[in-house]
Amino acid sequence: MTDLIPTTAFGTTTARTATHGALSMAEDVTTALASVALRRGADVPVPLGLPLPGPGGWAGADGAMAVCMGPDQWLILGADGAGGDFAADIAAAAPDCSVTEQTDGWVILDIRSKDDADGAPMAELLTRLVNLDPATLAPGRATRSQTGHLGIIALRLAPDRLLLLGLRSAAESLWQHLDGTLRRLAVPR
Amino acid sequence: MIIPHPLLGPRDSQEFTIMGDAKLLARPDGLADGAEAAFFDYLYLRDNPAGLHRELWYHEQGDRSWLVVTRDTLTHEILGAELASDVARRLAEGAA
Repeated sequence: MTDLIPTTAFGTTTARTATHGALSMAEDVTTALASVALRRGADVPVPLGLPLPGPGGWAGADGAMAVCMGPDQWLILGADGAGGDFAADIAAAAPDCSVTEQTDGWVILDIRSKDDADGAPMAELLTRLVNLDPATLAPGRATRSQTGHLGIIALRLAPDRLLLLGLRSAAESLWQHLDGTLRRLAVPR
Repeated sequence: MIIPHPLLGPRDSQEFTIMGDAKLLARPDGLADGAEAAFFDYLYLRDNPAGLHRELWYHEQGDRSWLVVTRDTLTHEILGAELASDVARRLAEGAA
């Protein structure tokens, strides 16, 4: 059988990373994604034991997370599932729902702040990146919005941690936008 | 402009696409008598009010929901927003 080499959203074989000052950004190449949409009149499922959150929220832990994408629609993130058939696992756990594989449709960027009990560098980054009330992206919140005219899904995992999902075909543009912002924030003022 | 999204709170209008008059929700019955004339009106005739106007907005860069937004066309003041699915359901119940 042909031996295929998996590539990341940036066309390389290893995850891309960058660090500027207190903030660092790393591509996540191992997380699997699947979209779950509820059919009309169906009961809300609990795939992998995840309680599906309401609008503007995410639920779960590092292993598996669910993000609300819209009315009756969620995105499920499975850590270390990118090599398998994650959508099939979710479809089995949510039999009455429409489940679609999303893993290779997105680029996942994990942004962390190193000196951060108070989350100040992250808060400053958010005020630059998204045109939203910062409370919309307080820890424990998630939303779909845009940054640099690119559609994103943003999850505030913790005060010092933000997960951004962008369209894979625009990965390089998103990286350029974020990397430039991080670089400028790191300049002493 | 800031759109008060009923589920997500205040959102920048940049995230939305305007999709026209909210009267488009009231699609005529294609099998009823006079359907041709009703569809001509539905397709081509729009009010162009100077003042309050109810419009369909699509949250394209957000949760992909459709909203009915009430806007003052003279001042661009946004007076309210609700889910179009709720409005459509009320319309259907009113018609039944």
